[in-house]
Amino acid sequence: MSTIDAPPRVIFESPALLADRSTHYCPGCGHGVVHRLVAEVLGELGLGPKTIAVAPVGCAVFIYDYLELDFIEAPHGRAPAVATGVRRVRPDAFVLTYQGDGDLAAIGTGEIVHAAARGEPITAVFVNNGVYGMTGGQMAPTTLLGQRTTSTPTGRQPALHGYPIPITEMLALLPGVAYAARGSVADAGSIGRTKAYLRRACEVQLARAGFAIVEVISNCPVGWGMTPLESIEHLRTVVAAAYPPGVLVDRLKEAPAARGGGAGRVEAPGERQRATGPAPAEG
Amino acid sequence: MNPRRTLMKGNEAIAEAAIQAGCDAYFGYPITPQAELLEWMARRMPELGRVFVQAESELGAINMALGAAATGARVLVSSSSPGISLMAEAMSYLAGSEVPLVLVNVMRGGPGLGSIGPSQSDYLQAVKGHGHGDYRTPVLAPASVAEAIELVPTAFELAERYRTPVIILADGIIGQAMEPVEERFRAPERAPADWAVGGADGRPPRVVKSLHLRNEDLDAHNRHLQEKFRTIAEREVRWAGEQLDDAELVVVAYGTAARVARTAIHRARGSGLRAGLFRPISLWPFPSHELAEIASRIQGILVVELSMGQLVEDVRLAVEGRVPIAFEGHAGGVVPTPGEVVDALERLAAATVPVPAGGSR
Amino acid sequence: MLTAPLEASELRSPLSAASPTPHPPEGRPPGFRPLSIRTDRCKGCELCVAACPHQALALDRSAVNPLGYHPVRLIDPAACTSCAICARVCPDTVFTVYAPPRLSASRPGAAASAAVAGAGEGALR
Repeated sequence: MSTIDAPPRVIFESPALLADRSTHYCPGCGHGVVHRLVAEVLGELGLGPKTIAVAPVGCAVFIYDYLELDFIEAPHGRAPAVATGVRRVRPDAFVLTYQGDGDLAAIGTGEIVHAAARGEPITAVFVNNGVYGMTGGQMAPTTLLGQRTTSTPTGRQPALHGYPIPITEMLALLPGVAYAARGSVADAGSIGRTKAYLRRACEVQLARAGFAIVEVISNCPVGWGMTPLESIEHLRTVVAAAYPPGVLVDRLKEAPAARGGGAGRVEAPGERQRATGPAPAEG
Repeated sequence: MNPRRTLMKGNEAIAEAAIQAGCDAYFGYPITPQAELLEWMARRMPELGRVFVQAESELGAINMALGAAATGARVLVSSSSPGISLMAEAMSYLAGSEVPLVLVNVMRGGPGLGSIGPSQSDYLQAVKGHGHGDYRTPVLAPASVAEAIELVPTAFELAERYRTPVIILADGIIGQAMEPVEERFRAPERAPADWAVGGADGRPPRVVKSLHLRNEDLDAHNRHLQEKFRTIAEREVRWAGEQLDDAELVVVAYGTAARVARTAIHRARGSGLRAGLFRPISLWPFPSHELAEIASRIQGILVVELSMGQLVEDVRLAVEGRVPIAFEGHAGGVVPTPGEVVDALERLAAATVPVPAGGSR
Repeated sequence: MLTAPLEASELRSPLSAASPTPHPPEGRPPGFRPLSIRTDRCKGCELCVAACPHQALALDRSAVNPLGYHPVRLIDPAACTSCAICARVCPDTVFTVYAPPRLSASRPGAAASAAVAGAGEGALR
């Protein structure tokens, strides 16, 4: 007869840095997944106590209620500038921004380009769902041609509305950008790769190698006029074709000793141990 | 020990005063007539291991400052009128989030691109809030390079004591003038910043924000802010008077206009006109009570500004019709001359009812 | 643009076509629950239902949670392999996933009931 000599092992649970509360996000919205990945990665690297994060304006404006981190709320689009100020006066802190497509690629284009050009050693998370969710589903800079939104009711047309902006590809051209990658939340495999990109983007900051950005293409069921399942399918096929996932540039890999602001490589607490569980209890 | 006496340009003196006051970080963007302030910081801050960033725009600069100040750092930003307009959004966020910061506006001609000449045409912008929403910002107006050096540490103190942005309102003449000053620098103590972010290490996370989505929450927050502004208004009024005791006519002016007025008053006294100077140093909170008291015993007020008339509105509010008010002003970088001010005083004397020397009406 | 909502069955994970449901190892103790589900957090989005390679999940249309949604339910516990794909795709982190306990050929009794208690609803370490 076979019996048990140990309780079942937990192989997946909510990370400690993710607040224990329901979110305001719509059913199926990718923000929930990306928040969790950020919580997992920061927890595994032991960065919770050192992180100063910058919140956007957009659906994720309440991110400070969902992640157990110190947060500064930035005006719309200004997060990379706010993060620059933090980075400069707090060399010891871990600095993270979280922005949507309006925040980063419309009103905040100037701030993100210049933070990237300066090579600010911050980690930028860019959730691109091709629409302005919070304000009711208007066109974003990354809205696809032909896509119907509340401000392009007959579909986006170049002559009237211009073309979608491949902002991450543009940023990847800048020498100050040490890491640029695009992930997706379309399925478990994509989510796993996105987590790896986020982790890499954090490591790049810890190495003070330069600016790091991870774009995550995500779904907006309500903004796209689809069910959550339809939106995932649309994300996996149509959106991924226009914004292909993958690593755009990884300069840390190419020249690990080339950059660094003088402080050398700073190892994060807990970095050596690949923790599978949550970080030790935070205050 | 006697402080050193040197010739300093206003912009540079303001910058050095901030450095000596313990400024941790400076963010700015070049704009005439305050580029020297940025350049002084560009040289000195790295020498001291402190933070200097020339941002991509004034918009970038003020938002970098917001981030740095939210960690409790002592932060200075400077610009001039068109750049200050770009900062209106962030000033509203700074006020709403209660983040301390000192902003120097070296005013130039406007509106729009205007000119690079000196002006005082950002008075209303500075004292009436500048960005959206219900808030006030303390505004300090130096009338000389020496006074600017004094007011910089005071501005940091006010900013940190009350968790508010504070504006130092100078003009292009003060910014560019070179004057002999004693290097009386001061480093105020830092107020405890138990609200600041720095990493939630062994404590609950903190959020620096201005969003209060529930109407009741925002109403309560606004009442709290108004309570703060009432306290500031009670405690932080600053002004100076010259030859007011027996004055029959009073010139109200600040900054460079006050220096012109001072010369005019000396000349007017020389020809028998009993004129005095009421010089607000805090433009907000405005010395309303003090001005109202003086207004009750004089013949008339002349407001002199390097603008088309902004301070004069607050003078009218304070005086409440007790006494006639005349205005003398120019815009566009044109500075009123003492002669023009004397002429205006004489016209005011002729048009108003005399009062006995030293008595009330 | 799609005109009719797709059923979860039409959007199945590619894994399910490639590998028919493998049966969990023999000897899994009765009462072992591979998942605990925060039904109060579920928003009924069905991403997990479609992503599960073994069709082990479905919305419980007989129930409505305090948020107003039909929460997900593990309808075929025997088919669940603790792959945690559901947990990874869930935007609301409603799942905690457990691996089946290790088996040994000794010490019956008390250890078994302890294992079942440890795998109960809402058990987060």
